[in-house]
Amino acid sequence: MRRVPWVALSVLALALGIRLAAFLAPLSNLMPGCAFKRLTGFACVTCGLTRSVLALGQGQWYEAIYWYPAMAFLLVLAPLAALWDVRRAWRGDAYLPLPTSRAVRFGVWILLGGIWALQVMRGI
Amino acid sequence: MPIPFSASLRASLRALVRPSRAFADAPPPLGRALGRMLAVWVPLALANAGLTVWRALQAYGQLRQSGPPRWLERLSGADPEALWELFRTLPAPPAFDRVWPWLLLVVPIGLLGTWIHHAVWDHTGLWLLGGLKQKHGFRTTLVAEAEALRIAALGTLVGLVGFVPGLGALLTLPLILLDGYLWLFRGFALAARHGCEPWKGVAATAVHAVLLGTCALGLTAMMLMLVRVAP
Repeated sequence: MRRVPWVALSVLALALGIRLAAFLAPLSNLMPGCAFKRLTGFACVTCGLTRSVLALGQGQWYEAIYWYPAMAFLLVLAPLAALWDVRRAWRGDAYLPLPTSRAVRFGVWILLGGIWALQVMRGI
Repeated sequence: MPIPFSASLRASLRALVRPSRAFADAPPPLGRALGRMLAVWVPLALANAGLTVWRALQAYGQLRQSGPPRWLERLSGADPEALWELFRTLPAPPAFDRVWPWLLLVVPIGLLGTWIHHAVWDHTGLWLLGGLKQKHGFRTTLVAEAEALRIAALGTLVGLVGFVPGLGALLTLPLILLDGYLWLFRGFALAARHGCEPWKGVAATAVHAVLLGTCALGLTAMMLMLVRVAP
């Protein structure tokens, strides 16, 4: 099982899914919008993600990052993670455990909260 | 005469009532945990999917005949005439005989996908809450999820009662509450197998729900969007 690049395969599946999602773009204006935002008046933590994915599927990189700035992280990290995973599988190494550092975990929470705050402030 | 699977059923019920003691034994190997989960869950999920599809085909056929209900006209916001025209041009539903063989393929794949999906997101949630230990990796989460989902399949069994005419509407709220509990129940398996406090396991499933809840709303929105499309 160590020889299977699971992360790289997941990235590939994700890329394929995003490309296929572009075919739904012509229907995007008919979408009723986020139920959370409609209910509370504030953007939810993933508000803008659908529009970002649709834009990305059409190759509109700038729009994709505009609608969901965290997409920039994904665009940079996903190919790097896939390459690292192919190398790991090629060498037959085990997957590294997730970092135990409290600072890293705290950083991810701040990132998630920050993305949410940013989307709320921008009124996305 | 003993009732088949009664011992297993009793053990599952005991686990659901006392989740903090349910995973005290040594964990099984991954293959055995997965096999046991599929052995219990696949037949129940097949029955559930078969009944759901059968009901859906019936409802679809009736909709084609009677046109859109008023609530759908209001909800979709589409022009009623256009909606009527859309319903008139809908293709006839396929016969159930032609659909069910596909379920034999789709349901097991769907269950495996659900298992991996829960494992990935619960593992991430547990990591975010500091519940992961160095010596326990993703494989431990896969085992814990398989064990928990085998027991939680009891919910699918209870859900079949909702197909009894007249009971479905009555059981809606209790079944939603049961679903909610079964969602959190996975957290006890996670906590036991990773050796962390139960609240962290349960909270990991809650983090998973919060992070993905909005995506589920997105899916609902996509379905509504399809309803709103008129020629």
